[in-house]
Amino acid sequence: MRRRGVGAGAIAKKKLAEARYKDRGTEIAADQLAQMSKQLETFQKHLEEFATKHKDDIRRNAEFRRQFQEMCAAVGVDPLASGKGFWSEMLGIGDFYYELGVQIVEVCLATKPRNGGLIMLDELRERIAGKSRARQDVSNDDLLRAIKKLKVLGSGFTAIPVGGGRYLVQSVPGELNMDHTTVLQLAEGSGFVSESSIVNKLRWETERAQRVLDHMVKEGLAWVDDQATEGRQYWFPALFPDPAG
Amino acid sequence: MAEFQWPWQYNFPPFFTIQPNKDTQAKQLEAWCLLVLSYCRHRRQYSLDVTDAQDSPLFHNKKIDRKLPLDAVYTVLEELRKKGNIEWTDPKKRNRCLIMWRTPEEWGKIIYQWVTSNGMNNTVCTTYELVNGDDTTSQEFHGMESWLLTRALQTLQLERKAELMGSEGVKFF
Repeated sequence: MRRRGVGAGAIAKKKLAEARYKDRGTEIAADQLAQMSKQLETFQKHLEEFATKHKDDIRRNAEFRRQFQEMCAAVGVDPLASGKGFWSEMLGIGDFYYELGVQIVEVCLATKPRNGGLIMLDELRERIAGKSRARQDVSNDDLLRAIKKLKVLGSGFTAIPVGGGRYLVQSVPGELNMDHTTVLQLAEGSGFVSESSIVNKLRWETERAQRVLDHMVKEGLAWVDDQATEGRQYWFPALFPDPAG
Repeated sequence: MAEFQWPWQYNFPPFFTIQPNKDTQAKQLEAWCLLVLSYCRHRRQYSLDVTDAQDSPLFHNKKIDRKLPLDAVYTVLEELRKKGNIEWTDPKKRNRCLIMWRTPEEWGKIIYQWVTSNGMNNTVCTTYELVNGDDTTSQEFHGMESWLLTRALQTLQLERKAELMGSEGVKFF
């Protein structure tokens, strides 16, 4: 039996089919891309419409603002990314956080003589609410976003989580390492720690505890109390309530 | 008399321990100086006995069981002396001091303002009626001790706004 070889015609046929498939594929991909970008465009348009429509709510209502931010993040839009452009011009969203940033810096500077440059996020929020003329509703989420923006300036602004969803805001360039923040977390609540409480609760060597405490005193973040019956205590003004406000 | 408003530091236990960090200590002494002056001002107190004061609420917060140690009390008072707010009645013993929460010059100005607004220029009055008379009950200088009043009037005399007549009379210009 003569084996029938593949003829030139068949090859040409196959090539043609492949080319057609390829074209079709490209076509489909282009189609999908066009559709997707159209969808995204529509979405962005809606988002912008939504934002414009609810401009006042976004500015005034903290919860609304947080949800709006999350919605934006989901589609890769950062309303804070630039000072120019649609978001800041139409909404003043950038302005909002910019103004908030200025207020944060003001409060941190004003309270620094007392707390050495550390303040509870809650206290910061209350002070800003107390001084702002508009009495606008500012949430911790807003503050954390604004602080993140301040961080970019390299001005030493950081939010340190101390557990239970609570934060300490640091406004001094001094470096606080893990050990320092761990001790601050331990002090949160009572307002103070002692060498023995650190050794007992954190299972640290005495030297390690003492090194951290000495650093906090040196940086003006901690005050010592030698009149406690259990021995020297280290108190943090930042964690101590100031009833006068 | 309205209740005295203690500063936040008064309830902060380390406030009663002199701080090892020099910057913190400077803030602490500044706060103590302010507290001593505002406390005495609130009580219209013109002198202070060191031993009594150490046991008084000023230097002893019973609520948090903290007391400023004697050497720290002296550190605060010496700081106030440098600022011109206190004077030892006996610099060697240092057991009692005179307190001026306002300087004699400031007191002079306040008295002269009151005199002018009451049209008492070019009149003579006794020092007693000035600080203890019914007309001045609402004034901050009401009840002022005579040693301080004399000093305040002397500053006015230097400015030719008053003339002391003996120890009990004064004429304002």
